[in-house]
Amino acid sequence: MSTERGRLRPLSWFLLRSLALGTGVAAVAYARRWLDVVEVQGRSMAPALLPGEWLLVERRTYAHRRPRVGEIVLAADPRDPSRELIKRVTSVDGRAKMIQLAGDAPDSSTDSRTFGAISVSDVRWRVIARYWPAERIARL
Amino acid sequence: MRNPLRPTRRVHAHCDIPCGVYDPEQARIEAESCYKIIEKYTASSDELLRARCIVVKEERAELTKHHIDVLWHDYFKPEHLEKFPDLHETCWKASKAASKVKQTTDIAAAKELLGLIDRIDEMWKATGGPEKTRLQAVAA
Repeated sequence: MSTERGRLRPLSWFLLRSLALGTGVAAVAYARRWLDVVEVQGRSMAPALLPGEWLLVERRTYAHRRPRVGEIVLAADPRDPSRELIKRVTSVDGRAKMIQLAGDAPDSSTDSRTFGAISVSDVRWRVIARYWPAERIARL
Repeated sequence: MRNPLRPTRRVHAHCDIPCGVYDPEQARIEAESCYKIIEKYTASSDELLRARCIVVKEERAELTKHHIDVLWHDYFKPEHLEKFPDLHETCWKASKAASKVKQTTDIAAAKELLGLIDRIDEMWKATGGPEKTRLQAVAA
């Protein structure tokens, strides 16, 4: 007795599946060079970003152009470069190649008001979307 | 099992000290102690009590000054100064009044100190202090 489930699948089915899987893995591996995911800590970007939210970030854009006012970016903390900050761009000085960063919640943010402007070249990652929590999925 | 979608990279939306709890009430309570102690000091002829009053008043006045200074240095931000141009003057005067209360048994100085703390409290409230710097509810 052969049932629908027990029937042998043709070899081509396995080959096709392997190919699809392999392509997927390769695509992810390739994309990881310029795409990454990060988790927000702290409240200085509230209400736009809340602690514990997961974001998609990319570093292609700033290889071609400067950050623009209003974009949310990642930047090394000038006071402790091992820490990465997430802030919004509040001004860009094209000539001096410096930008100012600020948290959306000024009362609970340490930003350019404290550490001053930072070099454009220190900003590589741009926040593009939030993918968790599901009810807050959004392009940013 | 760890959620595979969860980012391992953390980005900081912090301020320097995440505590961020401020309330002029803390200064007010110490200043009220000073006020009452000066009253008791003046009304009493018991030398021991009077000596204790001086010791405790100096300690409380020092704490008042500390709490005023913390609000001044840590809570208030440039945008608050824009809103209240007398902010620096008021905090400065309050610190000085606390010193005077520490040095003397002048009830008028204690009264002045309370008035200045109340002015700081007004500015704290008008800048959203109660909502932003006090816990609204503590999760169990």
